[in-house]
Amino acid sequence: MIDPVQLYCWHFMSYPYLAPDFDETQPTGWVTVPNSLWDKERSKGLYQQYIDQLAYADELGFDGMVLNEHHQNIYGLMPSPNIIAAALTQRSSHGKIVILGNLLPLHANPLRIAEEYAMLDNMSGGRIIAGFAPGSGPETFNYDIDSASSRDKFWEAVDLIQQAWTRDGPFAYEGQHFPLRYVNPWPQPEQSPHPPIWIPGARSKDTLVQIAKNGYCYFLSSRSHGRGTAIAQERFSRTLEEYGDRYLPKRMGILMSTYVAETDERAQVEAQEGIWYFLKNCLKGHQRRVGRQLTFGPGVPYIPPGEFRTYLENTDPTTPLLGDTQDWDDLDRSGSIITGSPDTVYRKFMEIIEAAPVGHLLIQFHMGNMPDELARKSMRLFWTEVAPRLKEATGRMFNERFTAMA
Amino acid sequence: MARRVVDIAGRDVAVIEKGDGEPLVYLHGYADVHGVAGDLLPFHNALAAGSRLIAPAHPGCSGSAELTGGHTPEDYVFHYLELFDALGLKDFNLVGHCVGGWLAAEIAVRHPEKVKRLGLIGATGLFVSGQYIGDIFMHSQPERGIDYTTLRHMLFSSSDCELAQRYYPNGRGDIDEEVRRYEMLRMGSFIGFKPPYFYNRSLVDRLHRATMPALVAWGADDHMVPLAHAQAYASGLPGAGDPLVLPGAGHAAHLEASDAAAKAFAAFLKA
Repeated sequence: MIDPVQLYCWHFMSYPYLAPDFDETQPTGWVTVPNSLWDKERSKGLYQQYIDQLAYADELGFDGMVLNEHHQNIYGLMPSPNIIAAALTQRSSHGKIVILGNLLPLHANPLRIAEEYAMLDNMSGGRIIAGFAPGSGPETFNYDIDSASSRDKFWEAVDLIQQAWTRDGPFAYEGQHFPLRYVNPWPQPEQSPHPPIWIPGARSKDTLVQIAKNGYCYFLSSRSHGRGTAIAQERFSRTLEEYGDRYLPKRMGILMSTYVAETDERAQVEAQEGIWYFLKNCLKGHQRRVGRQLTFGPGVPYIPPGEFRTYLENTDPTTPLLGDTQDWDDLDRSGSIITGSPDTVYRKFMEIIEAAPVGHLLIQFHMGNMPDELARKSMRLFWTEVAPRLKEATGRMFNERFTAMA
Repeated sequence: MARRVVDIAGRDVAVIEKGDGEPLVYLHGYADVHGVAGDLLPFHNALAAGSRLIAPAHPGCSGSAELTGGHTPEDYVFHYLELFDALGLKDFNLVGHCVGGWLAAEIAVRHPEKVKRLGLIGATGLFVSGQYIGDIFMHSQPERGIDYTTLRHMLFSSSDCELAQRYYPNGRGDIDEEVRRYEMLRMGSFIGFKPPYFYNRSLVDRLHRATMPALVAWGADDHMVPLAHAQAYASGLPGAGDPLVLPGAGHAAHLEASDAAAKAFAAFLKA
């Protein structure tokens, strides 16, 4: 039996108290956005509200909660997702805690991450999914990471952590970047042999090969879905076959954003402010042409020159990005943020899964400055009216498509 | 002009050579041969009129393989020592721009016996308190996906001068040139990323070892490496006089004030 699609609630924990003229007055929401804008009074209780929303997802029955790491921006207030994860171990009872992921090159010694994930795995009763990310775009600037050598450091750190979880210690690690004399972390993770490892990636062949070879799960780090998602799934599937494995839905996840209300019209009215705050403010510096995008490009040269040439040959630098979205029609075409009634959301999610049969949907409900009660309402409607149908349909579809192949 | 690929222990190094006479090794920077241009530029051609010019591309740039081990200044110096051995160069004149100037200085302080004359143009490599080298990484990220105005301003006296527009145009440029720019940024990131970028704290105290005649040339409007760095090199290098400050030129002074720079270097190399 192949599991139906797994549905997770992803919280980015954006800063919600920016002035309405933020976009007109500030060139970016990333790295250099002045922290004097942080409102101490209004921010009291903000983390509590966000943690409560994640705990609510667990209460509803979601398959898991997703956290990730960002620094010096208004997009995500989780410089240390492990701290939120620690809180969730005490506030949730069954859902996976997906940390997607810790940015390994930011640590002088990645063993610290092996230790913290192992602690969290024990504290949560074996519910941790261990995500690792290279952190080489904006972290070039906000954490002074040399992007050119970050990939090399990243894969070495992943290898070190996996060995720390699977080899009997103490052992010496002969790393180029992280040479260690005594690797012997206490505690060990609760899950055996270790928590599932997820790696975010765009479509870099090198990343896919590493994921395929090592049995990791591939998280497609793209906010827009359409033909590109299906292409990525096909490429990953081919890469797995090259390495003697075969694709199953559980090997791949994608990020979705949604707002569910009683009707399509009501969904737009209720989500309007939060979504546009998210697109115009949170994505400024990341997924907008206005200003300077700091997540990818020649100034953060982490991909090999050959891959950069391919990128240049296949892209148009004027193509609008998600944050350049002007209206609802535009947004609809991006396949990124899906709003509507339970029927509409179900239908649009299924279109994506039918084209790219991925087993994990990591879903953002809270966007920008969305009020607590709306985020919770959308989560509730999704879980009660969309999720059962998605589970049923994907369970059937996955078993037809992937059991027959076995 | 001849192009060749030199093999160093299985690692390719792309080299352009031109002219006859005393050997002169030229180590490039960003707005330069190998850093963006595929060929020698007028300044290099002028140097080659009186010398045997040897212009290797840095590891990772323009046909040279990336280093596979470490990326410290020491690793790059050793790479060049191996190249000099492979080319049979015992002693030679050495001129470098930007990161190439930094490497030239690192080579000169270690092996003063190899370097007959040392020329630096807008060289990085020194830490000068409060006088930070520009953030070329941030400025290489275009605004609106296409606008390189601030990068052009960093590398030239003004963002709208012809050379700046030629090599760093808005929008998608010539793909080969964009890849060369990328490769040079990657090499610069490997060797020089440590904030506030492009320095070796130890270099300044070693400059006294480089006693050969030295020429420190700088664009008066260098927006990447402040003029204070020219002063620091000139006062640290025993063989250097006052910096030659080229009016109307920016960081890529040898491109912008090509004639004046070529004339000054020709005289320096003959003396």
